[in-house]
Amino acid sequence: MKDNTLIECINVSIAYGIEEVLSDVNLKVPRGVVLPLIGPNGAGKTTLLRAFLGLMPLKRGTLRCHFAQLPPGYLPQHKKIDPLFPVSLRQIVTMGLYRELGFWRRPDPAERARIDEALERFDLTEHQAKTFGELSGGMRQKALLARAFISGADVLMLDEPTAGLDAASERYVLRHLLELNRNDGKTIILAHHRLEDVSHLAETALMVDRKTAKYLPAEKAWQHSETHFWEDL
Amino acid sequence: MIESFLELADLFPNAITSGIIMSIACSLIGVYVVLKRVVFISIALSETAACGIAAAMLLNIHPLIGSVALTVMVVMLLSVNYEMSRIPRDAVLGVVFLLAAGLSILLVSKSGFGLHEIRAMLYGDLILAGSHDRNVLLVAITPALIFFLCFLRPITYTFLDRDASQVMGLSCRLWEISFFLVLGLVVSAASKNGGALLVFCYLVAMPATALLLTRRLAAVFVISLVVAIMSTLSGMTLSHHHDLPTNQTIIVLSCVVFAAAFMLRGLVLRLEARGVRLGNNNSNDK
Repeated sequence: MKDNTLIECINVSIAYGIEEVLSDVNLKVPRGVVLPLIGPNGAGKTTLLRAFLGLMPLKRGTLRCHFAQLPPGYLPQHKKIDPLFPVSLRQIVTMGLYRELGFWRRPDPAERARIDEALERFDLTEHQAKTFGELSGGMRQKALLARAFISGADVLMLDEPTAGLDAASERYVLRHLLELNRNDGKTIILAHHRLEDVSHLAETALMVDRKTAKYLPAEKAWQHSETHFWEDL
Repeated sequence: MIESFLELADLFPNAITSGIIMSIACSLIGVYVVLKRVVFISIALSETAACGIAAAMLLNIHPLIGSVALTVMVVMLLSVNYEMSRIPRDAVLGVVFLLAAGLSILLVSKSGFGLHEIRAMLYGDLILAGSHDRNVLLVAITPALIFFLCFLRPITYTFLDRDASQVMGLSCRLWEISFFLVLGLVVSAASKNGGALLVFCYLVAMPATALLLTRRLAAVFVISLVVAIMSTLSGMTLSHHHDLPTNQTIIVLSCVVFAAAFMLRGLVLRLEARGVRLGNNNSNDK
């Protein structure tokens, strides 16, 4: 039987300096799921996500990521991109084709059509000439989502994709994520702070807290959001 | 004024070509100095280059070798990741600047040159650039500029979104070091010819002016380049016509252009805001 495991953590510990943020994490992430990483601020959701992406060195343990040929599409927190940088929304989406375009090549007609399609899919066509700084928070998230999507990666990793968005934009982004999972078969792993959304997104969530990470039913995450995270689990 | 320029071109052709070479290289690379918010790096590297020249004079080797060697060393020091450090990179830059400024004077004080000679050697004067200086500048800057323009895409992506670039397979550290090495090479070669302050002006004032005038990256490069060349030629002509120091005239002129662009931008923003208000009022009236 083919192994469905996408990511496997064996006794993974990650530290900032001498302080361990995550300690002896053991877990497996299957393919094809929507997996919200939840937990309080500073618990290590972003750290774990960055470790999955190979952006964080491990202090101890083994992390096996069985990505396909393409690396995951990554959506960082939009505040990480300097709004003063004079690049257009279209240029940001085109960045997702870097592995195909390389250092010098300009997009050919087929690739330009893919860019147009991605812009259309995320309702960004009429804003494509605007710079990142001229976009609203929701538009910025959608632009970064389109960039992650256009890379053709099977796995999307998203760091707080709805942070700073109004309710309508938040619903829009989450609905798109679910569509990408259901219609395109993408695995979606996202650090997410709104516990009330979790049960709509997935059946299971990964709760990151007190230096470790554990699966729990998504409904339980919301039930326990008013209390301390671990006490009744 | 045209006569003054023709006279200048006749008397100081090497100064004009050196000025144009410097303005092209620095105004293009400076766009990323401003965008990456590492403006202070350029002045610290200029001072380091001067210190390298001083060390070369004492060791009796070619000034460019001393300047490039020391600048590269500082670039490597600055490429260390300071995110987890207790002090920001700016603080390290400040210490580098102070050390380079102090050490360069200490080194040349032991070299037996006169004060004016020392100042000219360390801090350069564009009008004094000779054909040898121009050729050395061209040889040092051309490969650096070609490298920068050829690899503009990975450098842009790395500066725009470091983490996403890393995930896409770009070695961000490699591209950052490459950029700073290019910057170091350009600054050290240009500082010897035009002086640290003029190089700093090219790296900051021209790109900043361009960024005020447009929000398209390609246009920023073009405007920065045009403003740099025009300021250089006009500044040199003005200084020749009114018998003023060349470097300082170019610097002041660049700052005037920047101030004009700043005011123009403010005016455009006001008019836009007024247009929006008028539009809102009209829709309310209906």
